Amino acid sequence: MANVLWLQGGACSGNTMSFLNAEEPSACDLVTDFGVNILWHPSLGVELGNQLQALLKSCTSGKTPLDVFVFEGSVVQAPNGTGMWNRFAGRTMMDWVRELCAVAGFVVAIGDCATWGGIPAVAPNPSESTGLQFLKRNHGGFLGKDFKSKGGLPVINVPGCPAHPDWITQIIVALATGRTGDIGLDDLQRPKTFFTSFTQTGCTRNMHFAYKSSSTQFGQRKGCLFYDLGCRGPMTHSPCNRILWNRQSSKTRAGMPCLGCTEPEFPFDDLAPGTVFKTATVMSVPKALPFGVKKKEYLTLSAMGKLAAPQWAEEDIFVV
Amino acid sequence: MSLRTLDISPVGRVEGDLDIRVDIEDGHVVNAWTQAELFRGFEIILRDKDPQAGLVVTPRACGICGASHLTCAAWALDTAWKTEVPRNAILARNLGQLVESIQSIPRYFYGLYAIDLTNKKYKGSPFYAEAVRRFSPFTGTSYEQGVTISGKPVEIYALFGGQWPHSSFMVPGGVMCAPTLTDVTRAWAILEYFRRNWIESHWLGCTLDRYEQIQSYDDFLAWLDESPAHRDSDLGFYWRMGLDIGLDAFGGGCGKYVSWGYLPHEDKYQRPTVESRNDAVIMKSGVYDSKANTHVLMEQGQTRENMKHSWYEEKDGDVHPFERRTNALTKNDTKFDGRYTWTTAVRHAEVGRLEAGPLARQLIAGGRHGAMFQHYDPFILDVFKSIGGPSVHMRQLARMHEILALYRQAERCLREFKLNDPWYIKPKETDGRGWGATEASRGALAHWIDVQGGKIKNYQIIAPTTWNVGPRDGQGTRGPIEEALIGTPIADAEDPVEVGHVARSFDSCLVCTVHAHDSKTGEELARFRTA
Repeated sequence: MANVLWLQGGACSGNTMSFLNAEEPSACDLVTDFGVNILWHPSLGVELGNQLQALLKSCTSGKTPLDVFVFEGSVVQAPNGTGMWNRFAGRTMMDWVRELCAVAGFVVAIGDCATWGGIPAVAPNPSESTGLQFLKRNHGGFLGKDFKSKGGLPVINVPGCPAHPDWITQIIVALATGRTGDIGLDDLQRPKTFFTSFTQTGCTRNMHFAYKSSSTQFGQRKGCLFYDLGCRGPMTHSPCNRILWNRQSSKTRAGMPCLGCTEPEFPFDDLAPGTVFKTATVMSVPKALPFGVKKKEYLTLSAMGKLAAPQWAEEDIFVV
Repeated sequence: MSLRTLDISPVGRVEGDLDIRVDIEDGHVVNAWTQAELFRGFEIILRDKDPQAGLVVTPRACGICGASHLTCAAWALDTAWKTEVPRNAILARNLGQLVESIQSIPRYFYGLYAIDLTNKKYKGSPFYAEAVRRFSPFTGTSYEQGVTISGKPVEIYALFGGQWPHSSFMVPGGVMCAPTLTDVTRAWAILEYFRRNWIESHWLGCTLDRYEQIQSYDDFLAWLDESPAHRDSDLGFYWRMGLDIGLDAFGGGCGKYVSWGYLPHEDKYQRPTVESRNDAVIMKSGVYDSKANTHVLMEQGQTRENMKHSWYEEKDGDVHPFERRTNALTKNDTKFDGRYTWTTAVRHAEVGRLEAGPLARQLIAGGRHGAMFQHYDPFILDVFKSIGGPSVHMRQLARMHEILALYRQAERCLREFKLNDPWYIKPKETDGRGWGATEASRGALAHWIDVQGGKIKNYQIIAPTTWNVGPRDGQGTRGPIEEALIGTPIADAEDPVEVGHVARSFDSCLVCTVHAHDSKTGEELARFRTA
């Protein structure tokens, strides 16, 4: 039995909606099969008003053991560090988060807002939003870089906008079934099992990438989205093409460029004019290159790929 | 009996941080204030950004209605850039909107709403034990089936858009995808699965065809009597229990309703403009005044906002979204006789405060205004008139009734796709003003965009919850939920479940009520909300 409390700060509830799409296990399976006791969740909890305030105080006082604290949404610190722009259950959410993290066995940040600040933290960050332990790529965030929960781990970051339901449920099951020791975290405190491979790993357009065959505009039936449409699949760590979305597809499979939403810089370039759904280039070389590839090697790779490209690589392949 | 004030913070299960204050006298609510307690500041984030930034940012304003936001963001840019949108793309956008709304129906009903029927207050009802068996969180038989299967319809969204929530596959000029035959056939199979394993098996206890014969309240009562399968379906059971525990007796509201209309017809909106939208949508727009019993079309030019009771420092008058200069107050102290919420008061310039949502849409669907090709459905308007107007129960019936039309429209999209025709026509990026609207599952949603110098000068959103959860306006008129709370009976002030019923019957979504302001200059930027 593990007590799980899930709260939302500067959030859109997208991670909750994503979580509710889960199967194997579903949200209900977590409760019925894995002994996960969801103390409260903003969309699912029964208590309201004073009843909830009593439950939260029971957690912060240690009377009710809090095994896992899940936080979705940014920590809103505005105005001027007071947190008054996000009040919850009679006080600032900031204060609840500080006290709950202090008593929780493990703290899980779900989605980009809770991990790195996300969309609310896009310049000029009017709500003074931050992630729990990072702001963008800067270590620290709301809790400080030295924070470790009672269970001995820093905040477990499950990024993505939203996070995939499996990334959420599998981590909760791992914590609830005592497999904490198997959760390896990378430099950004993301579970390595999900965030070591790339979005491009498993993409159906990989052959087109190799032959430098481009999707030059939307709605085409061929080509890689990297060269013209701004796809960040080759430099984004995620299993989006290994663990499919909604059990069916992924953005890149459906023709939408990866926006790099599991990385702290999302949305890249702060959405400056001219950057959305376009590949920025310098002297016709993409500014952002595949992870670990240098410009000279990239030029060799793409020249060779283009040279070796068979005729079919420029013809429609995802046909009706 | 003396007046007692009750502060409920938070209400919960309304998607976002909603606080409610009610004054109670003799066990009934005599005054009410709704308060939105989160401010993320999206307007300033969008200002000066890429014109297409709204396609990335606005679905993320609300993870529940992301497809609806994307729909508005795309059509707003289409009207600003004067694009051509191919018919396949119109259908694909509509399908995305439809499956998101279909998803929301069981997820909302079981996850957010029906849990309250297991409240101890209803122990005396003969329906109570069965309600606990069906609707208890996580373990209830219908809860588990309904919440889990709610993930199915959006699998169709993933086939066309890559993922749900938070895809940006709708872009000015069309959509990003070019689906294949298997995408369409699989989508059909998912719809069928959802129909057989929830709509017909759990919700209706009969076929869609049988349920669709219902045109009036008398038809509905006859349907209930016709078979135990109908009576004991979740719909039949819920309707009977709701009457038993008096859900039809409170939660009325302002009695006037708004819908932008939605689902542009694939042959009528390929050259989208703000002016031609009312004549192009399959689900017609409208304003219904239940006291006068009149239906008229809704025009975006009639939209007004008032900030007198919101945490913005602006002129006291009513302004159109394009003209607003939101100036958020740093100090958001709660003064119930002054400013007390981040939401503004939205009104129709002539008709006043309006309720948005499924009840509004269905009352408007029953009107004879609009064109012959537009959807007409008299059922909910007839029930509304037969049982004495709006209530918590009425709002639920309207919301759930929509599953039929939504399902049929989704089937229609799948039938109408011409797979080898274009899905996207590359537009020319220009400056200009645009407007895009739709109906999110929880009500009227619209975006206003002003692009100047190749970037966003102003981005405005008015969401269903902005309409519904708004505070008093310039004349002191209560917002729709505030008004709906008046008269609500409160049995136990420590567990005011009735307030929860009313708030949740609007399916309000506070996470979308976002505003932005520049805390340094104090100047208002693009304002932006949703919910």
